Amino acid sequence: MSKIKHFFQQSWLLIVASFCFGLLIAVTNAAWSERIEQNEREKLFSLMRGLVGDANDFEIALEEAQIPAKKGRVIKTDIYRAIDKGGKGVGFAYVSIGSGFADKIKLVIAVDSKCEKFFGFKVLASNETPGFGSKIKEDYFSSQFKDAPAGKLELVKTGDDEKIDSEIVAISGATVSSEAVVEIINNSIIHIRSKLQEKGLVTNGR
Amino acid sequence: MADKSRGLSPAVYKETFLAGLWRKNPVFRLLLGMCPTLAVTAAVKPALTMGLCVIFVLLCSNIIVSLMRNLLKPHLRILMFTLTIATFVTIADLFLKAFVPDMSETLGPYVPLIIVNCIIICRAEACASKNGLVVSFIDAVGMGLGFTMTLCVLAGVRELLATGKIFEQAVMPAAFVPWAAMSMPVGAFITLGLLLGLVNIVTRKQT
Repeated sequence: MSKIKHFFQQSWLLIVASFCFGLLIAVTNAAWSERIEQNEREKLFSLMRGLVGDANDFEIALEEAQIPAKKGRVIKTDIYRAIDKGGKGVGFAYVSIGSGFADKIKLVIAVDSKCEKFFGFKVLASNETPGFGSKIKEDYFSSQFKDAPAGKLELVKTGDDEKIDSEIVAISGATVSSEAVVEIINNSIIHIRSKLQEKGLVTNGR
Repeated sequence: MADKSRGLSPAVYKETFLAGLWRKNPVFRLLLGMCPTLAVTAAVKPALTMGLCVIFVLLCSNIIVSLMRNLLKPHLRILMFTLTIATFVTIADLFLKAFVPDMSETLGPYVPLIIVNCIIICRAEACASKNGLVVSFIDAVGMGLGFTMTLCVLAGVRELLATGKIFEQAVMPAAFVPWAAMSMPVGAFITLGLLLGLVNIVTRKQT
């Protein structure tokens, strides 16, 4: 009994402060979480619009599609269908995640309506090394993915980065970050296509 | 409750405030908080945002620590400081995500890393846990402003040389060739080293 008394005598302030600070964070989070989610949604939609030029709107085609990742983990992602002004589906976009050089890389990836070629990718979140890995956001790297065949991409160290094919030329000095992007895309596209085919949303996919 | 600030003269308050700006400037004189100093000073806007976040956290933590200083158990005090700092850093981080999402993205992990910023824990230990509310408040304002000004000076030099702009406004002549290296880590180290050297020369002349 005296041990318990001693414990509370020593730590009551810590317990009370933890409770009060926890409550303060919970209240703040409750007040701003909707706004934060709205900001994240707006960013995602603006990136998807940037990728699928003809898109007028996006609707969820498949909710929480599962993509197997490394170490037995599973990534759950919503697949969005891009719709043009006439209401016709012009492509699909989804978010995928993987390990980069410094931290996780979160990408928005878009493919055409037949899942045959990529519209490209945009970086939703990353903390790659400034001046090196951060170049995955730059056009000269990401433009290699635009119109590339939506199959397995291969990373090469040298080559023509203006030629549109399944070979992606790595960023000099940032091979790990380049590999990470290619791996995220390769790992996800196969599963995304099969999920879309299962649901009958893509019929001509390879 | 013993309050060391009770009966202190305005001269002491002034001295406490000015100490953070120059004599005990956290970056130039105490060499504290080097991580954000080097990492977020590629441009003035992120540096200013980081400075304001540090002022907010420093103010809140100094006030809370000062208020509970007589209740702190010596072996639990660092834990209490960290808990207090982490709370206000989380609030600052949520604020940036909600109202300035672009800046939150630019600053990336460096906002949560304010939790381990030694300026804040240093002021909690050296000042707030030993002084009253007024002194702790003034100390936080002085130290916070000193830190923010230092970051802005460093970022101003780097942004100007790296892009020819200040606050994203072009100020250099069109013929100016940007020094790309200044926006990279090497630019941060060189600029900080030169500014520290300059501050040392000035302080030596003063003494």
